[in-house]
Amino acid sequence: MPKVRLERVTKRYGKVTAVDCLDLTVHEGEILTLLGPSGCGKTTTLRCIAGFVVLDEGHIFLGEEEVTHLPPEKRDIGFVFQNYALWPHMTVYQNLSFGLQLRRIPKEEIRERVQEVLSMVRLSGMEDRYPRQLSGGQQQRVALARALALRPRVLLLDEPLSNLDAKLREEMRFEIRELQRQLGITAIYVTHDQAEALVLSDRIAVLNEGRLVQLGTPEEIYQRPANRFVAGFIGLSSFIEARVTEVEAEMAVLETEDGLHFRVPRDALVEGQAVTLAVRPEHVEVLGGPSGDLENAFQAEVVRAAYLGDSVDCRLRLGKWELRTQLLPGKIPAPGEVLWIYLPPEKLILIPG
Amino acid sequence: MGTKWRRAVLEGALLCLLFFVIFGPISSLVIWSIAIRWYWPHVLPQEIGLAYWKQALGLQRDWAIAAVSIWGAFGTSMLVALVATALVMTMAIPAGYALARYRVPLKALILLLFLMPKAFPQQPIFVNLLPTFTRWGLAGTVQGVILIHILVCLIFGVWITTSAFKAIPQELEEAARSVGATRWRTFWKVLLPLAAPGLLVSTVFVFITSLTEFTGTFFIGLPFVTTLPMLLYSSSGYNMQFASVIAIVLLIPSLLFMVLIQRVFRPEYMGGIAG
Repeated sequence: MPKVRLERVTKRYGKVTAVDCLDLTVHEGEILTLLGPSGCGKTTTLRCIAGFVVLDEGHIFLGEEEVTHLPPEKRDIGFVFQNYALWPHMTVYQNLSFGLQLRRIPKEEIRERVQEVLSMVRLSGMEDRYPRQLSGGQQQRVALARALALRPRVLLLDEPLSNLDAKLREEMRFEIRELQRQLGITAIYVTHDQAEALVLSDRIAVLNEGRLVQLGTPEEIYQRPANRFVAGFIGLSSFIEARVTEVEAEMAVLETEDGLHFRVPRDALVEGQAVTLAVRPEHVEVLGGPSGDLENAFQAEVVRAAYLGDSVDCRLRLGKWELRTQLLPGKIPAPGEVLWIYLPPEKLILIPG
Repeated sequence: MGTKWRRAVLEGALLCLLFFVIFGPISSLVIWSIAIRWYWPHVLPQEIGLAYWKQALGLQRDWAIAAVSIWGAFGTSMLVALVATALVMTMAIPAGYALARYRVPLKALILLLFLMPKAFPQQPIFVNLLPTFTRWGLAGTVQGVILIHILVCLIFGVWITTSAFKAIPQELEEAARSVGATRWRTFWKVLLPLAAPGLLVSTVFVFITSLTEFTGTFFIGLPFVTTLPMLLYSSSGYNMQFASVIAIVLLIPSLLFMVLIQRVFRPEYMGGIAG
């Protein structure tokens, strides 16, 4: 059942179109991530849903109700801000109870619900603290609790973890995911951090320049990126441009300008078609020695190698193309060294054009 | 032992200097206000007494003492300052909010416009205004003086409230809206408490500016409206005693406001705004 539906949502700032005719549906109980580089329109989209930004065109529905022209306070949404946005002149308790008081809920019930959400975010006993007396992580948990206390129709989160340090950020990802699942709440999560999006989401909507580029589960987005932008933005990819020269029953052969040949699954390839190959670092296999007549095996020269602790990030030169790969730590190849590598056909990502 | 002593002496000297800088000018006023006879080359008055104070406060009438009761002027000053401050702030708070939050066309120009009465020599402006005020029947009236004070004070009202509202992150308002607060309630429950220190500073500035305003009052108010500063200027040349009494009276509201500000500024939540 659709919980949030955007229809041809458009927002312009002067000559810049921040959100360009966006259609999107979020299902009940799922967490959908809007992912993209800064300026892609993800935050504007979220702010449109919240009602902080007025659309130029399009419609927004929450459940059955059209909310396009409703002010934020009538939309029954929860919003978690990047900078927490806790009211500094109120205690934690006052921050959490403000919205409940506005709904004229009896005092006793307010007390209970505040206790309930506080224990959910593991901050029981902090009621009388002021926000500035809390750490960044605690402040963000209060902000989350403030949004959850109202049991909103949909929870909107705008890069809520980007002000936290790396370790805490990683913990909080799971915490948010866990809470969202427990409560079965519908959530839209904005981030530019692809790792965060992959961990958190039921589905990811990749945005670029105000447009929806791809919508799918984390696996779909990672394994079958729709275009070069997605392949480059989510996970690391090296790109090789080629043309289809031969189409067989199950396989096709690609050839690059500099005469390299790749065998790939045939899919829907047509002879003469231009194709970009995206190669993930983890799909480059390093062979012990010369490959004999193995297909898709190449000699590549090490350009440079960087030790990362648990792996070695290695840049290889293959013809005129650069390939990034991850090697196991142990032997760190020297620049100029020649390695035999193998690219498994089924792992290569084919992008038309 | 030696360094300790030197340090103590230095600190003592610094404190004395500070004390002198702050209270020196005021103490001179106090001495003048109680001097009955004080001729050159004496360092201190030969005869002191409260005659000028008593006369100024209307407790006695003695033709030998060159002072009149200040109550009338005090009342006028207070009335003008209170009304002008109230009107200025009623305009400045919405204007400051709009200038801080919305994309107002020609924003810089508008802010500059408020500066104009202060950026030009005041006399030509007021002289120029006098015929207009006369035509409107405002010359020589309290209403006219209030209007001229508003003109002079608006800059402090608008500029300081604008920056007070600007200092509050917009997300704090949006958060209130998202939990169900209307625009109006957000203003009262979130914006106003957080902007209060800035608004108070702005109010104090406006009030003190109005209370001590002279030039505009002189041109527009003469000869029927007499405020404390007018009384002060007219006696300052030849009658230091009476002038000192008025000067001290004019200082009192500022001192009261200092105390008030100390109470209202609550550092514990001011700290949270920047973070």
